[in-house]
Amino acid sequence: MTALGRWLAPSHPAQLLLGLTIWSLWFVALYGGLSVACELAPPAPRQGALTGINTWLAVLTLATLALLAWLAWRGLCAGRETVGSARFIALVGAGLHLFSAAGVAFVGLPLVVLTPCL
Amino acid sequence: MPALLILVLITALAGCSGSHSILDPAGPAARDVAWLWWAMLIGFGLVFLVVVALWLAAFRPRDRAERSPGQPDTYDVERRQGLRWILGGGILLPGVTILVLLAFGVPAGQRLMPLPLPGGETPRVIEVTGHQWWWEVRYPDGAGEVVTANHLVMPAGEPVDFHVTGADVIHAFWVPRLGGKIDMIPGRINRIRLQADRPGVFGAQCAEYCGVQHAHMQLHLEAVPPEDFGAWLAARRDAEPESPALDDQHASARDSFTANCASCHRVAGLSEGEIGPDLSDIGARATLGAGTLAMEEGAIARWLAEHQHLKPGNRMPAHDHLALEDLEALGAWLETLRP
Amino acid sequence: MSESMRTTPEVERLHSELSAVWGNPRGWRGVFSVVNHSTLGLRFMATGLVFFLLGGVLAMLIRTQLALPDQDFMPPEIYAQVTTMHGTVMMFLFAIPMLEGLAIYLIPKMIGARDLVCPRLTAFGYWCYLFGGIILFASLLLEMAPDSGWFMYTPLSSSEFAPGPGSDFWLLGITFVEISALSAGVELTVSILRTRAPGMALHRMPLFAWYILAMSLMIVVGFPPLILGSVLLELERAAGMPFFTVAGGGDPILWQHLFWLFGHPEVYIIFLPAAGIVSTLVPVFAGRPIIGYGWVVSAIVITGFISFGLWVHHMFTVGIPQLAQAFFSAASMLVAVPTAIQVFVWLATLWLGRPRMSLPMLWITGFLVIFVCGGLTGVMLALVPFNWQVHDTHFVVAHMHYVLVGGMFFPLLAGAYYWLPLVTGRMPSERLGRLGFWLTFLGFNLTFLIMHWTGLLGMPRRIYTYDSAMGWDLYNLISSIGGFMMAAGIAAVLVDLVVHGRYGRRAPHNPWGADTLEWSLAMPPPNYNFASLPRVESRHPLWENPTLGDEIARGEHARPGAAHGRRELLGSEALTGRVREVIHLPGNSLLPLFAALCLAVVCVGLLMRIYPLSLVGLAGAGVLLLRWSWENGGHSRAAPLGHNDPEDPPLHSRTADGPGRWTMGVALLADGAFFLALLFGWFYLWTVSPQWQMPDQSPLSLPLLLASGAALTLGTLWLERRVAALRRGHEAGLTLVLSAIAALGGLHVALLVAALLAAGLEPTATAHDATLLVGLAYLLVHGGLAAILIALQACRAGLGLVGARLPFEPGVVALLWRYQLGVFWILSAAIALLPRLTGAGS
Repeated sequence: MTALGRWLAPSHPAQLLLGLTIWSLWFVALYGGLSVACELAPPAPRQGALTGINTWLAVLTLATLALLAWLAWRGLCAGRETVGSARFIALVGAGLHLFSAAGVAFVGLPLVVLTPCL
Repeated sequence: MPALLILVLITALAGCSGSHSILDPAGPAARDVAWLWWAMLIGFGLVFLVVVALWLAAFRPRDRAERSPGQPDTYDVERRQGLRWILGGGILLPGVTILVLLAFGVPAGQRLMPLPLPGGETPRVIEVTGHQWWWEVRYPDGAGEVVTANHLVMPAGEPVDFHVTGADVIHAFWVPRLGGKIDMIPGRINRIRLQADRPGVFGAQCAEYCGVQHAHMQLHLEAVPPEDFGAWLAARRDAEPESPALDDQHASARDSFTANCASCHRVAGLSEGEIGPDLSDIGARATLGAGTLAMEEGAIARWLAEHQHLKPGNRMPAHDHLALEDLEALGAWLETLRP
Repeated sequence: MSESMRTTPEVERLHSELSAVWGNPRGWRGVFSVVNHSTLGLRFMATGLVFFLLGGVLAMLIRTQLALPDQDFMPPEIYAQVTTMHGTVMMFLFAIPMLEGLAIYLIPKMIGARDLVCPRLTAFGYWCYLFGGIILFASLLLEMAPDSGWFMYTPLSSSEFAPGPGSDFWLLGITFVEISALSAGVELTVSILRTRAPGMALHRMPLFAWYILAMSLMIVVGFPPLILGSVLLELERAAGMPFFTVAGGGDPILWQHLFWLFGHPEVYIIFLPAAGIVSTLVPVFAGRPIIGYGWVVSAIVITGFISFGLWVHHMFTVGIPQLAQAFFSAASMLVAVPTAIQVFVWLATLWLGRPRMSLPMLWITGFLVIFVCGGLTGVMLALVPFNWQVHDTHFVVAHMHYVLVGGMFFPLLAGAYYWLPLVTGRMPSERLGRLGFWLTFLGFNLTFLIMHWTGLLGMPRRIYTYDSAMGWDLYNLISSIGGFMMAAGIAAVLVDLVVHGRYGRRAPHNPWGADTLEWSLAMPPPNYNFASLPRVESRHPLWENPTLGDEIARGEHARPGAAHGRRELLGSEALTGRVREVIHLPGNSLLPLFAALCLAVVCVGLLMRIYPLSLVGLAGAGVLLLRWSWENGGHSRAAPLGHNDPEDPPLHSRTADGPGRWTMGVALLADGAFFLALLFGWFYLWTVSPQWQMPDQSPLSLPLLLASGAALTLGTLWLERRVAALRRGHEAGLTLVLSAIAALGGLHVALLVAALLAAGLEPTATAHDATLLVGLAYLLVHGGLAAILIALQACRAGLGLVGARLPFEPGVVALLWRYQLGVFWILSAAIALLPRLTGAGS
């Protein structure tokens, strides 16, 4: 197995950090993307929440959500099959992925309602 | 603790009012927030009481079989019970709470955004600039700009967009009874939309720490009926400019002003100083020194003589080189400056 | 451990042998050269206590001033200094060092180690803290203390509006103290990951260690942004580089971002260890294992991460788009989930156990009441419209004290009462302790509960006086009375703690019936903690085996004694806790003290604006730190190659992956956080700053940068190959190769200097040029360090201190080269390539 493959295995301790790292990257992309987009091409305020910016950020959000959900599922399955510290890591990792997924969904909610650049 | 809570609630009902009270709202934005506060107080108060009660109840004497604490894995029943605690209190309770909060909070925030008005018209704009430690207020108007300081008059019953910035350090514009605050940042213009339901006088205060006299950076804000507002603005726009040629009892005070004050202060028609507050209508203002002194007869003279004592560290130099009579004459003249 | 166990001559010899190797030197030399974690942990806490009392006096001054309207107790300029210093002292000189001290004292004892993994770094951290604290506090005595509020917003703290040295005291003193925090963060991380008792797999680690691990990593990632901010602001103040000045293309809001990027995680850096105390004590006093160990671990990890995504909620009023605010608002609310998980884990543990309301538990109960209240007002504050109203009012002051005093001070005192018998061997008095608790608890709530209300009535924070017409008189008076009541409570607690250490009843062995390893030690524990190193197969070693302490003291476990004369402990695998190597630690040393003194000289030189003095100090610190690194591995003062080398497991300096490599890795993580903050600053100023000026053509020469990068790339690849070969046992020509690589490093630096000179930057004119200068300086410092370190490795290879039998060190330096390779190309792309590609400026 390659080094990267080992790190990505569901029982590697890096799993404890992976889910929330993805959450953080998504969060930075969301905030940074919004800021840069508003700086370069702010849409008219009367367009409301139905703008290109909101749509693209929503797509990003859904993709991240799907990835995290899959990782959580993978960890859960792996946790059932192992014992000891591997099981602990896999299960806690799965929980953290699940929380990250919920966090992505929750923090992404305002995209549906708010006008982007005001 | 509960006793204290009750004490607070009693004082709460008694004492919500006050010139700076968030809980005595006078406009739609502040009212939304006041409602949010009461709703959250009740909801979170309940959560608080339940959690504390559960904690204390855990210590009540109970009958339980003595056992060695060493073997965690033999207690499957307890583990399932524990899971119920965690899922219920640790996941469900906060999860539902924050969902509800977001559902109320985001729309409430949206109502405060400076969105285009439904009718398509644009709200009136008032520009406010924060200085150490006073407020510059400008009314940009097609017919000519009106400038005043430390005294803001706005029309009641309609939304007003405030465009704010800072001249030196960061200040914050805050009218607690009308709505939230917004920072006044050098190099940027921030916007906030506020509305006063009815005419009245509201306290406003610099909310971002801006140096030693942060405490004495208050703004007297008055909402007046829209027609009065027009008249107020017109009176200032069309006021007779002060003219040094006039020969009257204040001639010497005016000379003294030109010699000592004009490089910092503006009085329409007389001087163009921009460092300190514009004094063109100072006689009509409610306070002196951004809320340090109430305006009354003789107050300006007192301020001129004692301002470094009343508001230590303010940027106006002391006037020790001027005789008290001169200051009194200056004060008397300045009091006449009202449109 | 009972005294009878020591009687056999064999056991006596074991302990005297260990004492000889691990002992603190006597006399004055001992005061200055100690590196032992117990001694230094206690010193951290004692110093923190002194600063707490000083900060408390400042708090009482504030409450006296605000007790009545229109008070003349303090003039406004003194009030500004007092409020600024109260916040600064409590946050930076009390809360963080105190918790670090607790962790430094406890962690090795809890995970079954004899010391932390970098003992000299512990000492260095302590001296940095002490000197930084003294420098910072001296400003108040000189009446030139910082007065811009504890978060030092620019431009109020810039030279135009704060011309005196106050801001400089803050920036330099705090940076000094932060070096201390980073030292502790790095070594605690590595110690927890790599020196746990054999068999103590990650999932059997005491929860307290999880909390401290999270705290340490958060310090490592969270402090560098503020260090960067402080460096930039000091450069602006001292050299006129306009990073935060609008007219020069800077932006005062950049300071706020950098400050809160640190400042919000800081709150959790303080809260997490305190919650760790709660999670340690609750199961002990409930008499059962904690419910949901895995849930708590998840909650810790979640809190650690999410806390970095909330910083903007301190900036909701600066005019950021509402949608962006909503993201941060939602993220702030998310923190409620891990916090609630922990609260309900504690509740479940109590409900399913048989809890006792002992004195420590009383403090924990006080914590719960206050902290839950503070947490709930925190959720309120996360709501943007509500935040706009109460931001910067006394409501926030109240909230913050509920979270910090409730979330940190109360658990800390619970911990103090709980662990004092371990430190002193005596029990505290229940009666005086309870009186102290109730006075503190009631006084606290009287002060701060009412303060929420004062804030809702519109009282802004940091005003030095108020008018009676505002209607705030009564509430302020009540707050002040409460404040003095709380002070009386704390005085009672202090009296109790002092008196108990002298007259308290002798503590029985493991007086609270605890489950963790520190209670297997003698009370007070010896310098070496464990006479032999136990195997730990459970989360509750003392519940499983109550006589473990006696076995350890009799030397029945691994590696008893110290006949070899080395300070040794076992290095284990991070995940499984399997033994990998024997780690040998350095002994007592004066180098940390002298290095910290040199840094103090740097600070004083900058404060007095005698810049040559600072340069001398910096050079001195550099030389001392290099000397420090020299006395490692096979050096005669460390573990020279010889006949008493253990075979299985080997000494760490004989392997390829000792803890030093991990230390370098974690330190580079901190460095990376600094770098990312710098990168953020560059892009932030570029896109957001209101008057950003960018030249039409980037002043940086691409050919020079490419050539410099080529030298670096070549050197790094060569070094990696050579390190791999060394691990396989090939040591022929090592000195020559390492020298050549060092020369490549020198070439890299020289070309970088050429690029800098050719650019003709005007750093005092525009923020653009100033940022480029800082970026290039960053690369130069790292490039220079990489070259010097590898040159030293070449020397060591020549002297036989590095080779096939001692292959450890080049691999550590290779990490730095790899890091420099990454940051060089990223930064070059960001500052030289991207502006060309986007045609910015034109």
